[in-house]
Amino acid sequence: METLLFLVDGRTPNQLRPLTCSRNVLNRIHGSASWSQGDTKVVAAIYGPKSGTKKGENLEKACIEVIWKPKTGQSGKPEKEYEMILRRTLQSICLLNIHPNTTTSVIVRVVNDDDALLPCAINASCAALVDVGIPLNHLAVAICCGVVESGFVILDPSKIEEQKMKAFVHLVFPNSVLSVLPEESLHVGDEAKEHGLISSVTHGRMSVDDYLHCLERGRAASAKLSAFLRKNLQSQVPSNT
Amino acid sequence: MQHEKRSLTRNCTIWCRSQRHMEEKASASPASFISQAVVPGDVVLDLTNFSNHTIKLGGGLYQNCDAISVMKSGELKFSKPNKYWVESSQKRYVPCVEDHVLGIVVDSRSDNFLVDIKGPALAFLPVLAFEGGTRRNIPKFEVGTLLYVRVVKANVGMNPELLCMDASGKAAEFGPLKDGYMFESSTGLAQMLLGSPTCSILVALGKKVSFEIAVGLNGRVWVNAESPSNIILVSNAIMRSENLSGVQQQIMVDSCFREFKDL
Repeated sequence: METLLFLVDGRTPNQLRPLTCSRNVLNRIHGSASWSQGDTKVVAAIYGPKSGTKKGENLEKACIEVIWKPKTGQSGKPEKEYEMILRRTLQSICLLNIHPNTTTSVIVRVVNDDDALLPCAINASCAALVDVGIPLNHLAVAICCGVVESGFVILDPSKIEEQKMKAFVHLVFPNSVLSVLPEESLHVGDEAKEHGLISSVTHGRMSVDDYLHCLERGRAASAKLSAFLRKNLQSQVPSNT
Repeated sequence: MQHEKRSLTRNCTIWCRSQRHMEEKASASPASFISQAVVPGDVVLDLTNFSNHTIKLGGGLYQNCDAISVMKSGELKFSKPNKYWVESSQKRYVPCVEDHVLGIVVDSRSDNFLVDIKGPALAFLPVLAFEGGTRRNIPKFEVGTLLYVRVVKANVGMNPELLCMDASGKAAEFGPLKDGYMFESSTGLAQMLLGSPTCSILVALGKKVSFEIAVGLNGRVWVNAESPSNIILVSNAIMRSENLSGVQQQIMVDSCFREFKDL
């Protein structure tokens, strides 16, 4: 029997922190978006596509480079790790063969860090990619799940809650799509396509059951995030007179 | 009349933005998605039921096995009999054939000018691509010259090519634009300004002040008028008009001119 657990700010474990997203926040940049979950806020700016790829990159495809700028201090190893994870995630959602031999630069600037930084950055970068107009095969929504000692899973923990957890995992899922095709064709095997996983980064030790439990919670939350992102993108579609 | 000519081109251009022409089997009409906002990943057309129909896809859509999916966020549009595209507004431009754009010269080579048209790659403008152009009378464009040009080749992976004359070889207003003021905006605003019938912001401004305007489908707009204050008024009014409806644009223009008279 699960006892009711309330988090520090009064949320239930299944509730996400308040989300805000705005696109086209920076004037001179080709595309930008800011995303905040609770107190964590990240701004992503995108330049591109620009001609030419970096040395050693595949000329048949577009190249994505990510620069992560922390709130204070110099970029170090954690920033390099974030850059690599973000780059791999964005490469899997972009259609890279539409603009071959080009480079798109994604610059992520942390405005405030209250944990769940990587999911916030992924969400912001995805919204910024839509703002620039880079062709995507689907959107990505990211969520952070934490596991406490008793095996209980909490969604979207803040820094205070993170200290009490034994492990947490960042999950990135594809968004839920509208389709004219019948439901079955969207399934791969037995699973619905939107239940696929794009990225998963874990910190700390957790059992396999805890991980699967996190995946389940994460998927449920990704549906809500998808709906939020869709509504946000639709409201900024200019209406033609 | 100038608006008419450009708007005709604009209507042709939108559907010419097919990256591929496809002959596919088509099926039940996806009427549920037409004129709706779509996001990347949405599947809007099922091709297994269409039979012996040709569908033309414009920007923002691509073929994924037996279905057509969306790759840019925007509004799905349909034009009879068989053209689908996603209308969206960006700050950058994707070059398409037969678009009229405003480019800025960044370099000149022996046989080409390199022109920036806000796309992924620099465009080439051959030095002979002018009316009556020969090796003897090559125009001398300095770096930074603003040109009104036409895109003739826009292939994936290659630099686009431009021409400074129309299909019959006449100059027809293409070429360098002197004086005036150029500002950058989004491709959506440029399409609205080039729409037919003439959009209400231009009609409203035309009633108050006389001016000359060149709109590039890549999001650049050039305005010229007798006095600098008129140029600034017209430019500011156009920049502010992007997300307003026809009536709101009219009201905004009236308030701009009232404020100006009060100064």
